[in-house]
Amino acid sequence: MATQTYDIEKLSKWGGGRSPFNVSYGKIMMWFFLLSDAFTFGAFLVSYGTTRFFSKVWPDPNHVFHTFPFFGERYLPLMFVSLMTFILILSSVTMVLAVHAGHHNNREGVIKWLLWTIIGGIAFLSCQAWEWTHLYHTGGWWGSFTDLNTPVESFTHLFNHNKDIVKQVFETNPKLAMDATHNFYNYFFSITGFHGAHVTSGVFLNIMILVNTINGTYEKRGHYEMVEKVGLYWHFVDLVWVFVFTCFYLL
Amino acid sequence: MSAHYSNHDLQHLYEGDQSKLYSGALSHHSDINSKESKDQVKRIWKVTGILTVVTIVEVLLGLLGHGFQPFSVIIAIFLILTIFKAFYIVKVFMHLGDEKKNFVYFVLVPLLLFFWLIIAFLADGQHWLNMNFTFANTIKDIFS
Repeated sequence: MATQTYDIEKLSKWGGGRSPFNVSYGKIMMWFFLLSDAFTFGAFLVSYGTTRFFSKVWPDPNHVFHTFPFFGERYLPLMFVSLMTFILILSSVTMVLAVHAGHHNNREGVIKWLLWTIIGGIAFLSCQAWEWTHLYHTGGWWGSFTDLNTPVESFTHLFNHNKDIVKQVFETNPKLAMDATHNFYNYFFSITGFHGAHVTSGVFLNIMILVNTINGTYEKRGHYEMVEKVGLYWHFVDLVWVFVFTCFYLL
Repeated sequence: MSAHYSNHDLQHLYEGDQSKLYSGALSHHSDINSKESKDQVKRIWKVTGILTVVTIVEVLLGLLGHGFQPFSVIIAIFLILTIFKAFYIVKVFMHLGDEKKNFVYFVLVPLLLFFWLIIAFLADGQHWLNMNFTFANTIKDIFS
């Protein structure tokens, strides 16, 4: 006679009453939100890539981003953005240390590391504000470089003239380079702006959980899972920057 | 007498603060100064070191690798290093490495869609560029 066997372990795992993932609802939903956000950022970056593949020439990041505050027009390519990247990585580290302190119900640790994280986030945003202002004063903005009478001198220095294709375009049809500059700035301000908006809301969330921690809300609750959830968001913002950094400043 | 066991206790947790059931998954409820805790902190700083070194390598490559031919090798290295950094951030900082396997798949498998997204759209951009070339040359042939 055939006997039916049940995997008791499996049945009880999916039989209700507990999470098969051993993760709480709030944390699962944070992961799913981040997944959808990853696709939003991904679509932005892929769209940027498509436009870049569509263009014969493209501004060279080493020529666009070569300044550092208080160093005037000295040629220091990639230095400032490296500093920004380092600040964001460090703030991610302090966040994971705050989460770690939360795992051990260590209130003082959570407060200390959250404070550092907030300082790091604000420092990053300040750097970005400086960079945006600087680029704005050099002529780059949303919708810039559309006027057909724009002098070639205003964008020729953004390109790497050691490349044959660049030389050829500037000799025959510099308008193509102007068009690429226009697209470059549009994507740059949209994507770093969208990322900056994420950092800003992350700083606000961090301030909120810092206030809650100081008030002892999580201590009374018995766990610091909220710090973990906001931590996930903050690390995601750092993760996105890793890709933005590669796509805009390195490639 | 048998020990009393009431389902209502569990039910109460579900309706109130469900997180209490699972916050134990990562929480050790041990002292922050315990060896286990210190090992974890050590691991975090080790990953920080890795991320910093990789970023420095990327910047150096961005500065010095510009004349390198073929440039596609540099691009491939950049992409590999980026994925490498992303892996460590997700695994250690976001603790995805500590979650159950089925949850890890739940999060990571949808990301496979990016393979399609990137290949399809970049190919499309390339195609339009070539089409513009062809079109421009055809026009030139006709009018010259």
